Amino acid sequence: MKILIIEDENELADSISEYLSEENYLCEFARTYNQALEKIESFHYDCILLDIMLPDGNGMNILEELKRQDKQDGVIIISAKNALDDKIKGLQIGADDYLTKPFHLSELAARIYSIIRRKQFRNTNIIQQNELQIDLLGKTVKFKNHPIELTKKEFNLLLYFIGNNNRIISKSTLAEHLSGDFADMLDNHDFVYAHIKNLKKKLNEVGCKNYLKTVYGTGYKWEG
Amino acid sequence: MNKLLNKSLKSFTIYALIVLATSVPAYYFLVDSIWLRELDEHNEIVADRTEKELNNLNLAETELNQSITLWNKIQPGTNLEKTTLDKNRKDSTYTVLRKNPYVAHDDIDRFRGLSRVIKIYRENYLLTVETNVEETEETAIAIAILTFLFFLILVVGFLILNRRLSVKLWQPFRNTLTELKTFNLNSQSNISFEKSNILEFEELNVALNKLIEHTVSVYKSQKEFTENASHELQTPLAIIKNKLDILLQKEALTDRQYQIIEDINKALTRVSRINKNLLLLAKIENHQFDDSETINVSELTEECLEQLQEHFSNKELSVHTSIEKDCVVTGNRVLIEVLINNLLLNSIRHNSQKGIVEVKLNQTGLFISNSGIITLEKEHLFKRFKKTSEESSGSGLGLAIVEQICKRHQWTIDYKFQQEKHTFKISF
Repeated sequence: MKILIIEDENELADSISEYLSEENYLCEFARTYNQALEKIESFHYDCILLDIMLPDGNGMNILEELKRQDKQDGVIIISAKNALDDKIKGLQIGADDYLTKPFHLSELAARIYSIIRRKQFRNTNIIQQNELQIDLLGKTVKFKNHPIELTKKEFNLLLYFIGNNNRIISKSTLAEHLSGDFADMLDNHDFVYAHIKNLKKKLNEVGCKNYLKTVYGTGYKWEG
Repeated sequence: MNKLLNKSLKSFTIYALIVLATSVPAYYFLVDSIWLRELDEHNEIVADRTEKELNNLNLAETELNQSITLWNKIQPGTNLEKTTLDKNRKDSTYTVLRKNPYVAHDDIDRFRGLSRVIKIYRENYLLTVETNVEETEETAIAIAILTFLFFLILVVGFLILNRRLSVKLWQPFRNTLTELKTFNLNSQSNISFEKSNILEFEELNVALNKLIEHTVSVYKSQKEFTENASHELQTPLAIIKNKLDILLQKEALTDRQYQIIEDINKALTRVSRINKNLLLLAKIENHQFDDSETINVSELTEECLEQLQEHFSNKELSVHTSIEKDCVVTGNRVLIEVLINNLLLNSIRHNSQKGIVEVKLNQTGLFISNSGIITLEKEHLFKRFKKTSEESSGSGLGLAIVEQICKRHQWTIDYKFQQEKHTFKISF
């Protein structure tokens, strides 16, 4: 899987690449607007991470360029601006997703995973993870053709874990993922534990192997 | 409170009254003395003529006496009689008050008299001539009435002029005031005063303009600083966050190390939240939100409650809602959602285990209450970074944002503590 990271902050680009490389993603970098244009013209990427605040140009134009060239690359906008109109504009021009800095790498990884799967399996939208079958569109999960009834949040968590295969995700990161902006306002992150427990239980009930491991007491890891 | 012009009008009126009041005795004395001088002159003419004519008649003694008797009878106000007084005695003038026998009314009249010794055929006679003169009080009253009339004319004139002047003269001042009243630092509009040809008002406008320009520029740079600082912080925060994510993946962390990473993560989340909130505040103040959508608050409130459902049950709170169907407001959806969420989150965070949350919504407003122990300080409640409770995890901006959002939508927010409940009331 090829990923293009269009980001002028080296540290940020490096961290992203380091995190993603472990999952067989191949990362390339573009530090400037012009470099980015060159890259997208010459190569095809499965997913492009686009920082719209570039020193020598507006990332939105890159998005328009991609559209003009009728490229099918998935695009995630990364922005320091939490501006709603930016988000809407970006999604309208054809970005698949929008992330506001600062974000967790696990969040980014989960979104890249979903986008690439959506692009790849445009006909079926089915992800096969060991014996689990996940239907992205129908938001249903089957284990060896046994349907598993999951709540919205449990389904969301499952995807998150699968998108971060073999990564450790801390409880606070999960809390942030589940409750968005409220996480730090709720001192109590027990609700994360409740959802995880239910998810584990439902997977165990149908005889699914225990892929979801607890590490360091409050961290989690999907070992698929 | 008095109007400035009314103040000066009052002084002018009092001054006019004093001047006119003192003019009454002055006029009186003037008129009276003219009167008396004229009458003295008249009396003297009468006396001279009488003396001369009687001497010219060349009457015999008896005839003369008869004539004098007749004279005395038919000439009112004069009297002629023999006297032993010396011819060289000085004339005397005097004023008497008595009834006039020749008029019907009973009033006492005033007379100016002249008594003089005249000589008719070597005989001395005392002639007294008395002429009716206007009474003092009558003169005084007439003058006073007239003066008062003039005073009234003056005052009425003042009032009319005052009204016209206050409209015309103060127009520039009023324009300036209107501009000032509508001026709001937050709204990006610049203020411009109408030119005035009155020196003082023009000076005022110039001074105000300077003050406002300065204030606006300070305010702008302050705001820009906040915004830029927040923006610039996002990237380093992102870097720290990501580095922690990577650190977490490293093999063989100890539980203690994991815990430290987790603690840093939590603090980091708080920092980024404060940052986001500062940006949000700046954006609300910059009017970067369209606020003309029509929003069904009932549905929105239900959605927010739904999202927080698990957090309510986590703290075992009993939630009582009475939400009227289809309450509609005009505003910005994102902001209103932030407002409702902030208030609901507060009702969870600042609540006791198994406490109560009440949410009431109707077309007039939204009430959110939760159990509490002591009242919060109202004056600090909506200030930024003012912690009103022991809780430490908040960003200290939640209520400041709520207040700003209310302002933006021209709603009022009110806080009450009664029956061991904190209640926030937003009136649409």
